[in-house]
Amino acid sequence: MPATALHLDLPDLPEAAETLRRDVRAFVAEERRSGNLPPPDRIGLGFDVGTTKRIAAKGWIGLTWPERYGGGDRTALERYVMNEELLAAALPVGAHWVADRQSGPVLLKFGSEEQKMFFLPKIAAGDCYFCIGMSEPESGSDLASLKARADKVEGGWRINGRKIWTTNAHRVHYMIALVRTSTVEGTRHAGLSQLIVDLTAPGVSISPIISMAGEHDFNEVLLEDVFVPDEALIGLEGNGWNQVSAELAYERSGPERWLSSFRLIAELIDVLRPGAPPSSLEELGRLLSQLMSLRQLSMSVASMIQRGLSPNLEASIVKDLGTKFEQEAVRVVRNIVASEFLVESGGNPRLKRLLTHAQVYAPAFTIRGGTNEILRGIIARGIGLR
Amino acid sequence: MSENRTLFRETVEKILADTLDQNRIEATEKRELPAQLYASLTEAGVPWMLVPEDKGGIGADIGDAVALLRAMGAAAAPGPIAETLLANAMLAAAGLDPMEGIVTLAFADPGATILHDVPWGGICNHVLIAGQNCIRLTAAAAWKVTEGVDIAGEPRDTLTGGEPGVVAPLETTGWFRTAAILRAGQILGAIEWCLDRSIDFAGERKQFGREISKFQVIQQMLAELAGHTLASAGITEAAAESPSEMLVAAARSRLGDASDAAITISHQVHGAIGFSKEYALNHRTRRLMAWRDDFDSVQTWRRKLAGGFLDCTRDSFWPTLADAGSNGALPKEI
Repeated sequence: MPATALHLDLPDLPEAAETLRRDVRAFVAEERRSGNLPPPDRIGLGFDVGTTKRIAAKGWIGLTWPERYGGGDRTALERYVMNEELLAAALPVGAHWVADRQSGPVLLKFGSEEQKMFFLPKIAAGDCYFCIGMSEPESGSDLASLKARADKVEGGWRINGRKIWTTNAHRVHYMIALVRTSTVEGTRHAGLSQLIVDLTAPGVSISPIISMAGEHDFNEVLLEDVFVPDEALIGLEGNGWNQVSAELAYERSGPERWLSSFRLIAELIDVLRPGAPPSSLEELGRLLSQLMSLRQLSMSVASMIQRGLSPNLEASIVKDLGTKFEQEAVRVVRNIVASEFLVESGGNPRLKRLLTHAQVYAPAFTIRGGTNEILRGIIARGIGLR
Repeated sequence: MSENRTLFRETVEKILADTLDQNRIEATEKRELPAQLYASLTEAGVPWMLVPEDKGGIGADIGDAVALLRAMGAAAAPGPIAETLLANAMLAAAGLDPMEGIVTLAFADPGATILHDVPWGGICNHVLIAGQNCIRLTAAAAWKVTEGVDIAGEPRDTLTGGEPGVVAPLETTGWFRTAAILRAGQILGAIEWCLDRSIDFAGERKQFGREISKFQVIQQMLAELAGHTLASAGITEAAAESPSEMLVAAARSRLGDASDAAITISHQVHGAIGFSKEYALNHRTRRLMAWRDDFDSVQTWRRKLAGGFLDCTRDSFWPTLADAGSNGALPKEI
């Protein structure tokens, strides 16, 4: 490798991962046969408790967690393979997604034994769902400027503040909120803490934000004198920024960062036939090469996580490239559809509906979970520019 | 990565450092092959690295050759080394003896009496013509040479005449893919050099009273180039390990985008300084322009890649893609 800090670790997938892949495909086929897949005209992670329960019954939530917490004690590569298979098939895995990817691992890494014993088995059983309480109305990309605060009271904390863009807050059980618990002179990053908020607690009000795609996934969550007990604090008081940063490698590198538009490409492939003009094949081939490259990078990051490394630079690159690819895919499919008159006169209605939805959904790809401009700032630091 | 691979790479990096400098790179534009570089590579056995050990070679694999050529590409090493080591491997596979000296390679009709754009065609010792089902080894001296150059200024000659030479049967479809992935190694190395040099340059060059690396716009550009570099490195390494048609096509397509980005961004970061012939950047960027479309153009590889999926349904598309990506199996011959 060159002198830059970029690292690759392309894995040979272990036999266990390939076995799991076959099992997941069989499960997907059964879900498809049973009519459990979401309608074929939207993209985005569907939210379906039934699907989550059936996946949990397979033992596939918390796949990498220790068995004593209800986990599967499997490798990050196996989890990677399972996720790419579930996402490529567009299974509605949204209910448990955040808890499985992010909240559970944070509890595993920083939580108390009591927290682990209480939450992790419930998450793994598909009974307990989480959302992320980071962004605020005045704190988007500049997360450390957040204003929600928790004051120490007898036996716990009293939280006041406003969280926004909170995906699924209206249908999950808990939020891990990042709030200010103290002020440290000269640094904004110290003094932040992560608290688990029961969303049914008094003082929590959740109001919908309808997206430009016409859907209710986002919410604004108002926290007014919400009491949480001492046991709700994750890790150390004041260490929230470091804990959140550790979360982000999980959040940035998974297949959900480059498979959002996959269904759209699959629909196009379904209707394109040999004899398609060279210009369309060239655009499509370019897209496929980006997809296959992202897959290698995503596996490489999973492999590094498995080996105990912290591939934050590489994970940020996966998210930057992956989300741009997701947008590019919508543009390319739209252009091929237009130049080949694929949806003229009522043709391919399913592709047409999906393309419509994908176009209005696409602006979110490069914003959610941290904008690409912020990611590139992190990448620039990683390669030694800042 | 095998222990041998690290050794190959370190050996060639040392040879490059000892034998290649800017003057010698520029001399290739006067049709001078860097003699000392080639002598050292020959001494190290590089021309026969893909020839099996029982036939007098090193018996290295394609991944090893790609790793070595990556270092060569980073150094802007001139000459037909990829062609020579591949030609010798093909000769051995066809039951012929590998050659001493420089062997260049042309994928063409085996009976051709005119060969276009042959790398170093007028300067090598042997010309190997690879047809679909057979190869033909000829002496370079048997050809009449019309001089030509590629964008980097290296010879790409037109050869006419020739001799019957030695013909042996060989199915060459897979060898063409190998040629494409070997060139991919050189392309990747040049891209990595452009990224590294641009990062260093941005940290050295001051404007408005500070290093230009402190400006967000420069950071964003180089972060983008880092992404292109890592993504193309991943797919190139994967294709080098199992050079299926599909992975090679994906690598060459992805490298096409990354080459464009490396050329545009590294020159933009360097400003006017990078545009001078004296500065080393152009040795890499001009080679990227020359190499990008060798052994089938980027666009051709894209058509092949897309064409390989056209029989898929919406539900068979993913398994086809995932399985071909992990074990190199082909969806169908493309």
